[in-house]
Amino acid sequence: MFSIPWRYRRLPRLLQTFQGFATRRARRWARKRQGTDSTTTRLTARRVYILPTSVGLVFALTTFAMLLGSMNYNNNLSFVLTFFLVGLGFVSMHTCQRNLVGLQVNFAGVEPVFAGQAAQFEIAISNDSKSPRSRIGLYLDGITTEIHDLEPGESRVFVVPVPTDCRGRVPLYRFGIRTLFPFEFFRSWAWIHMDIHGIAYPAPVDIAPRPPASQMALGHRQHDERGEEDFAGLRRFVIGDSPRNVAWKAYARSDQLLSKRFAGADTSSQWFDFDDVEAADVEDRLSILTRWVVDADRASEDYGLRLPGVEFPPAHGEAHRRRCLEALALFGLIEEAAANDG
Amino acid sequence: MAKARGTDGSLLHSLPWTMASLAIALLPHVPYLPFWVTIAFIGCSVWRYSIETRRAPVPSTWFRAFLAMLCFLGILATYDTISGVGPGSALLATMAALKILETRRLRDQFVLLFIAIFLVMSSLLREQYLWSLPYLVATLLFIMTAWLRMSGNPRQPVRTSFRTSGRMLAYAAPIAIAMWILFPRISTPFWSVPIDTSSGVTGLSDRMSPGDISSLSLSNAVAFRARFDGPVPAGRDLYWRALVLPRFNGRSWAAWEPTFRAGAEEQVAVRGDAYRYQVTLEPTNQQWVPALEVPYEWDLDHTSMGRMQTLNRVYPIDQRMRYTVESFIDYRAEPYMANGMRRWFLGVPEGSNPRTAELAQAMHDEAGSDQEFIRAVLRKFHEEEFFYTLEPPQLGSDPVDGFLFDTRRGFCEHYASAFSVMMRSVGIPSRIVIGYQGGEYNPRGEYLIVRQADAHAWTEVWFEGIGWQRVDPTAAVAPERIEMGIAESMFDGIGEAWGLSAPAEWLHQATLAWDALNARWNEWVLGYGPTTQEALMNSLGMEEPSWRKLMLTLVAVVAGLTLLLSGILMLRFRPPPKDRATVLYRRFVKRTGVEPRRGETPDAFAARIAGGTGIAEAAIAKVTSAYLRARYAESDPASLDELETAVRAAR
Repeated sequence: MFSIPWRYRRLPRLLQTFQGFATRRARRWARKRQGTDSTTTRLTARRVYILPTSVGLVFALTTFAMLLGSMNYNNNLSFVLTFFLVGLGFVSMHTCQRNLVGLQVNFAGVEPVFAGQAAQFEIAISNDSKSPRSRIGLYLDGITTEIHDLEPGESRVFVVPVPTDCRGRVPLYRFGIRTLFPFEFFRSWAWIHMDIHGIAYPAPVDIAPRPPASQMALGHRQHDERGEEDFAGLRRFVIGDSPRNVAWKAYARSDQLLSKRFAGADTSSQWFDFDDVEAADVEDRLSILTRWVVDADRASEDYGLRLPGVEFPPAHGEAHRRRCLEALALFGLIEEAAANDG
Repeated sequence: MAKARGTDGSLLHSLPWTMASLAIALLPHVPYLPFWVTIAFIGCSVWRYSIETRRAPVPSTWFRAFLAMLCFLGILATYDTISGVGPGSALLATMAALKILETRRLRDQFVLLFIAIFLVMSSLLREQYLWSLPYLVATLLFIMTAWLRMSGNPRQPVRTSFRTSGRMLAYAAPIAIAMWILFPRISTPFWSVPIDTSSGVTGLSDRMSPGDISSLSLSNAVAFRARFDGPVPAGRDLYWRALVLPRFNGRSWAAWEPTFRAGAEEQVAVRGDAYRYQVTLEPTNQQWVPALEVPYEWDLDHTSMGRMQTLNRVYPIDQRMRYTVESFIDYRAEPYMANGMRRWFLGVPEGSNPRTAELAQAMHDEAGSDQEFIRAVLRKFHEEEFFYTLEPPQLGSDPVDGFLFDTRRGFCEHYASAFSVMMRSVGIPSRIVIGYQGGEYNPRGEYLIVRQADAHAWTEVWFEGIGWQRVDPTAAVAPERIEMGIAESMFDGIGEAWGLSAPAEWLHQATLAWDALNARWNEWVLGYGPTTQEALMNSLGMEEPSWRKLMLTLVAVVAGLTLLLSGILMLRFRPPPKDRATVLYRRFVKRTGVEPRRGETPDAFAARIAGGTGIAEAAIAKVTSAYLRARYAESDPASLDELETAVRAAR
């Protein structure tokens, strides 16, 4: 309804700067004080912080004004009202803090993503007390992602999206749990520093050069059609093996899933070789390789990946895909400790 | 900057509750507010609600500004001012109505709820009845529930919200009570803002025309309550003097401005026993202070004895006051008076009520002495056809003549007026006293209720050397009125002849009980001030409670209560207790001095520590198997004991 005249606009900005500074200092202090948390953490009273909100400050001011009014008029009933409000303030403060204390926080996993997508960290929060916990929110960098009520005994998975912009490990250095319950007079929160991270695969390029279509790949297909493969024995079934290669007769006999192996299978698939990619930049090469891997996986073809120093023989399936993409994601990166947060 | 004005129904779970708490907060204001303010509030609420259900946009800023302007002018036109409780609450109410229209986001309702709190506060400034406390708690419950619904889960059932806010209030109550008792009270306000007194107060006024007091006699409103320290005087001695009317204009009697007169107390000589009593006076907005006959000592601030031996207060009594007075019934007041002063009490306008003057002169001549004359006049009232009635006929231009010779029906003011005019006509200084006579004793609270219905007018005549003497002509006409009082004569059937009708007996008893409750409420809750607080603190063992001491106690008590609250909340949110088996097993683990690894089963742990500690392998195996059985086997209470002995044995 009202707009602030231009010359006062600086004040809020100044306040914001100060607030940002204070928050950073407080976070650093808390990090040092709390240390790294295990992936299963219970919130103790020592690590739940609390401050009044702006609504709470207005409420306090109102109450003070009412106290002055009551004193001025010597009105005992408005004293009652005023002191009830004071009492509600105290109750609100303690309820707000207790609403968080005792919550169990578990890291429930994070799925790998491609760089540019947000890594969805799953945090399970459980309330094993006999009272419900209301309005529990998870937040990251001041932005609340989800708010839920937790019934007694309820456990709930909250998702914290962490945006990624390049491949590699995606650490979640810090996230917070906060609540404003019951009346938004106070905000209590806890910072949690778990040593957890997800993985961001290189972003696959949109338009990639055709993969090196090796004759061997073609040959494999022809062999397949003609049924002239050289049977080389049986091995244990691995998830991702083609059902065509399962030794069903053996399964019927022994109750064990076995896959047929063929001689020359290594050469019968396509190889994606880092050195063969025609791109100047390492990252571009990785992106192209990623595209090939993704496409080949989608087409259910066998593929092998060869990076300087590592080699994944041709195969297919979810586990293979994951191994390959992970290798691409972490290629050339020094494993850094999760200590470099500010 | 343009804002979207659309609504999406997201407020449907909270806005109705916010509006409901506003409505409840507004309820006590309704009788005092201009009619249109209530209508505007209801209209805006209904309109806004229908906007939300239809998902329509809220009215435009220009339209709202126009409405705001209109309301502001309306209030200015109604009150001529915007300060004070009346215009203030009207302003708050219209603000709330307009803000309801404007509310689009959940958090806009914060403002509405703050307004609701202020509305409750201002209603308490205006009136504090016994039901005000439950009302205040109920309204607070509604406001806090609305608050929860605004900031809470939209899908939460209303019952849960009410339960939660009720629990919060219950937790807050002990803190509130402790603070209320201990917060140091001061008696003088910092600054004075007039409290709205637009509601008429029934009671005596400083003029008396025929019919003024009889109009009061049907009012059951309490004028004051009096609690005697010793015995209560007999009904015929209960003359509560409030003010004296010396001026007569031929029709009505008028008082002087209440003034202070130096040395007025010295004009009074007293004799006999003093009556000590405590009066709780309801607000009158007047400056006179009723007291039994002649007050000798009193403890009300800014109050002194005026020249008519009545008590006057410098400031009008705009709130309930409590004071203690010591009075004497046997007294001699102002035995000597200057001639100039005396003439004030003889004035009768020339040519008014000629027949009365004539009659008085004749009777005086016949009686021979002043004393005999007075007796003769009273005898005339008693023996001739005079009637005491609450519904006297209308009187013309010379009301005393009309009353004495034509109608002969009147209430106390008619008799007092006629008597006084007759006295003055023959040169006996006289004046009218108005106040209250009698009162009803409430056995439930052991105090005297004096109601407006007990308002009475009588006369005082003056003789050199004797001073002012009370003469009540009504006693000659209707002695029951004086002996029994209004309330009792009403139930005796005598009151019927005067035009009074008695309520049912049980109703009257209920009224008395209710009044006793109210008196206690006034005394202990509303009247809790510096004196009461000091007395209470003394009885609790605090010597000479000072501001400092009280404040320190307050902080200590509130801190203790908050700690208690914290403990209760900790219990509410405590994690489930570890079962006995776990506790016992942990004791054993501690004794081994080896920390189990993460995810290690008891069996694996046992195997790892075997031989490494001083405990025998057999004992370890026993503990482990007993623990596994106690922990995982279905309901076998014996295994717990087994575990306990095994743990004790494992050393």
